[in-house]
Amino acid sequence: MSEFAHPEVLLSTDWVKEHLNDPNVKLIEIDVDTQAYDAGHIPGAVGFNWQTQLQQPVQRDIISKEEFEKLLSNSGVSRDDTVVLYGDNHNWFAAYGFWLFKIYGHPDVRLMDGGRQKWLDEEDKELVTEKPRVTPTDYRAADPDWTLRAFVPEVMEVSKKADKNLVDVRSPDEYSGKVIAPPGMTETAQRGGHIPGAKNIPWSSAVNKDGTFKPPEELKKLYFEEKGVDPSKSTVAYCRIGERSSHTWFVLKYLLGLNDVKNYDGSWTEYGNLIGAPIEKSA
Amino acid sequence: MSDSTGEMNATNQQTRVYEDVFEMLPSEENPSPMVRINRLNPAASFSLYAKLEWANPFGSVKDRAAWQMLQDLEGRGEINQDRGIVEPTSGNTGISLAALARARGYRLKAVVPNKVPKEKKLMLKIAGAELEVVSDELCPAPGLGDGSINLAKTYAKAQGDRYAMPNQYENYQNVAAHIQTTGPEIWRQTEGQISHLFVSLGTCGSVTGIAKFLREKKPSVKVIAIQPSEGHDIPGLRNLSQLEASKLFDRSLIDEILEIDFELAYKRALELCQTEGLLAGPSCGLILEGTRHVVERDQGGCGVMVFPDNIFKYTATMLKHLPELEEGTSV
Repeated sequence: MSEFAHPEVLLSTDWVKEHLNDPNVKLIEIDVDTQAYDAGHIPGAVGFNWQTQLQQPVQRDIISKEEFEKLLSNSGVSRDDTVVLYGDNHNWFAAYGFWLFKIYGHPDVRLMDGGRQKWLDEEDKELVTEKPRVTPTDYRAADPDWTLRAFVPEVMEVSKKADKNLVDVRSPDEYSGKVIAPPGMTETAQRGGHIPGAKNIPWSSAVNKDGTFKPPEELKKLYFEEKGVDPSKSTVAYCRIGERSSHTWFVLKYLLGLNDVKNYDGSWTEYGNLIGAPIEKSA
Repeated sequence: MSDSTGEMNATNQQTRVYEDVFEMLPSEENPSPMVRINRLNPAASFSLYAKLEWANPFGSVKDRAAWQMLQDLEGRGEINQDRGIVEPTSGNTGISLAALARARGYRLKAVVPNKVPKEKKLMLKIAGAELEVVSDELCPAPGLGDGSINLAKTYAKAQGDRYAMPNQYENYQNVAAHIQTTGPEIWRQTEGQISHLFVSLGTCGSVTGIAKFLREKKPSVKVIAIQPSEGHDIPGLRNLSQLEASKLFDRSLIDEILEIDFELAYKRALELCQTEGLLAGPSCGLILEGTRHVVERDQGGCGVMVFPDNIFKYTATMLKHLPELEEGTSV
C-alpha cells in the first residue's frame, strides 16, 4: 500500500489520546458550529471561532500576521510546538486553520484524522467543558506565504488560459447553479454557477463515512484518473467561502503531494459577485 | 362519580377520569382512538382506519417512546434532580419528554435543528425544555450525521454528571414502547383482522416495534413504509438516504417502501382536514397518499395508518406549501 506524500501531518485519535499530557503538543478545535467547543472538547484543547478569530471583522481577509501572533500567544502556543487541529464537519475549518498556520509559517501543524466526530464516537475518548489554563507566549509568525493563496487576477488567468487545474469543491447543485449556497447559509452570491473551466470534485469525495480521509490509492484514482486533475500542473481550489476548499487543498498538497496548490478563499462569494466576470452554468 | 368522602373514584378508563397525566398515556387498555376513513378511501371493499396518535396526552405518537425511555432511565437510576436529560429532537419527542420530565421533576435540554418550525421550538419551551438550536445540513456528506445528534452526544459525554441521553435513534426502548402498546392496541382494535399497516419513517421505533408485534401474531400482515421524496421539509420524517441516523431501522420487517412527492403531504393533509374532519398534520397526509396507491392496487383488506400528529403546529408550513391559503386572511 502506498503512503500519503506527507503522512506525518495526519494523526489518529489514538495518537492524540496518548499525547494529551505532552506539553509540546497543543490541541486546537475549530468548528463550523461555533457552539460545539463550549458544549464539550478534547481535554486541554483551545477553541478558535472561525467567524470572530480567524478572519478580520471589517475588511474581508484572513487575520493579519500581528493578529495571528496575538491569537497564538494568548492561546499558549510556541513556534516549536506540535499544533494538532481538529473540528466538526470532517475537519472543514480545521483544514482552513491548517492552511492559515502554513501561511504564517508554523513549522509543525497537523490534523486529527476523522475530526471531532470520530473522537465523539469512540468510547474510550473523553470530552470536557473546562477550558485549559493557558500560559501566554510571545509567538512570532513568519511573513505570509502567498504561494498558498490565490487572488482574483490569478483565478481569472487560470480560467482563461486553462493551463492549470481549477477545482470547484462545492456540491453538484452549487456548481451547476441550481442553488447559490447550501440551505441555510447566509453568505451567498448574486448568481449561481461556476468559474469557467473548473472541474467539480466535491470535497466530501475525499472522506470515508467515519470522517477519515480515504487511502492514498483511492484519492489518486479519484482526483487523477476519474476527475482528470493533472498532478504535473499547478492547481487552484475554491468553494463558497474558502473552508471546504482548504480541505481539498490539504488533500492535494499534503496527502497527494502536488507541488503547487493554492486555495482561492475568496471563492464563489467573491467570484460570483464580480461585475463583468464570466461564469458558467450547467443547470 | 364521587364516593362517600367526596373524592372522585380512582382511575376509570370508561369515564376517562385519571389520577394524573401519566395514567393517560396509551396502552392496550387505554388505546389511542382509531377512526374509519370514509370519503378519502379509494376502495369501498378496503376497510381503512387512521390511528390518531395526537389523542395522546402530549399530542403525538412520540408520547409512547418518550414515556418508555423516561421510565427506563428512572428505573436504572440514571436521572435525578441534578442529572437531567439531553436529547436531539425535531420537536415531538422533545415536547413529550419535556412535559413528562418536568412533571416528574427533571430537566430536559432539547437540541433542535434550526429548520424546525418556530411553533415547534416555542412549544418545546412552553412544555419546559431548555432549547439548544443548531444549524444543520450545511453541505451534507456521507455519514456526517445530524449536527443535533452530535451536539447532544457531546453534552452527554462532556457533562455526564448533568445529562443522560436517551437517544431515540438508538434506544431500543423506542421500539419496545410500540411492541408493548401500539402493536397490541391495533391488534385488539381490529380484532386481529389487520392486513396492512401503513407508517412513516423517522427514528423507525414505531415501524420496527409495531411490525415486530403484528408479524408475531399474524405473519401475513403487510408492512408498508411511506417516505417523502428527497429534499423534503416534513419535520420528524426521514427519507431512506437520511435513515443512517437511526439504528432502529430494520428493513427485513418492511414489505414495501413507497416514496411520495413530499408536496402531496401538504395537499392530502388539507383534504383530511376538510373532507374527513381529521385535523391531521403533513406526515399523515404523506401516509394517506402512499396508502391510497396500495388500497387501489390491493382492493381488499383491513388497513391501519398510524397518524403521528395533528395540524396545529404546522399552519406556517402549510401556508408555505399551499400559498392559496393566504387568500382572504387579511383585509
